[in-house]
Amino acid sequence: MPLAAFIAVSAALFFIGVAGVLVRRNAVVILMSVELMLNATNLAFVAFSRRLGVAGERGSVFVVFIFVVAAAEVAVGLAIILAAYRNRPTVDVDQLDEMKG
Amino acid sequence: MLDFLGLVVFAIFTIMIVGAGLGVVLANRVTTSALLMAFTFLNMAGMFVLLGAETIAAFQVLIYVGAITVLILYGVMFTPQTPRAYGLFFQKQTPWGAVLAALAALPVIVVAFSFHDAKTVAPPGGDLNALAIAVFNSFAFPFEVASVLLLAAMVGAIVLVKRESPAAPPAAPLRRSEPPR
Repeated sequence: MPLAAFIAVSAALFFIGVAGVLVRRNAVVILMSVELMLNATNLAFVAFSRRLGVAGERGSVFVVFIFVVAAAEVAVGLAIILAAYRNRPTVDVDQLDEMKG
Repeated sequence: MLDFLGLVVFAIFTIMIVGAGLGVVLANRVTTSALLMAFTFLNMAGMFVLLGAETIAAFQVLIYVGAITVLILYGVMFTPQTPRAYGLFFQKQTPWGAVLAALAALPVIVVAFSFHDAKTVAPPGGDLNALAIAVFNSFAFPFEVASVLLLAAMVGAIVLVKRESPAAPPAAPLRRSEPPR
């Protein structure tokens, strides 16, 4: 299996996530799109780790740390969304504009 | 024969990942998006198996398909989700967002296809041994830092969603004219 195929899938999923963050207005969906982007980078890391051979599985180690950071990020992100929702009952990021000027 | 079979499986996973990923962005109902995201993660685990990273695939199913999807579904449950009308779904920033993403994607995809003959070789005997040796030797300190990060995230999430007093009305919309309590 060529490396380019895995990198292409990773890039496609990453930019789908980018488009989701830019286009969607629902805070929970934006969080999901960020998760998609993180997962796409995981695929790229593992594919490059395979390319470089048995160099101690360095790419996979990074993937493990990305798992940790993603779990922390989604927990804190959801907590922030819930706190903002309690303050003002909306999850639409267009209406969460209290910090504007 | 085995190569061809691998190619077919790869194509199936690719179609599922890209299709479900597009579904996450385009679906109007948030629960649909969340379940399609879980499906994307599951197919990504298949991709990891194809690369010979069985341990990463197992972690993927446990953490992403299990934990993160459930957390997101809780987030969907705790907030009211009114599906937006499609007239509001495509707004004035949508073409800008799409153009920006496509412009950034083009050079990346060109670079991706410049790895012509690089093969991905799965290591014999799985990746658990090499992964464990790397994590607990070279990366022992980042491993400890990661555990501290998880603890901090847990405490932070609890503090953020904690109510100030049990008598406070849940999710009462604060009007701006009200003095802060």
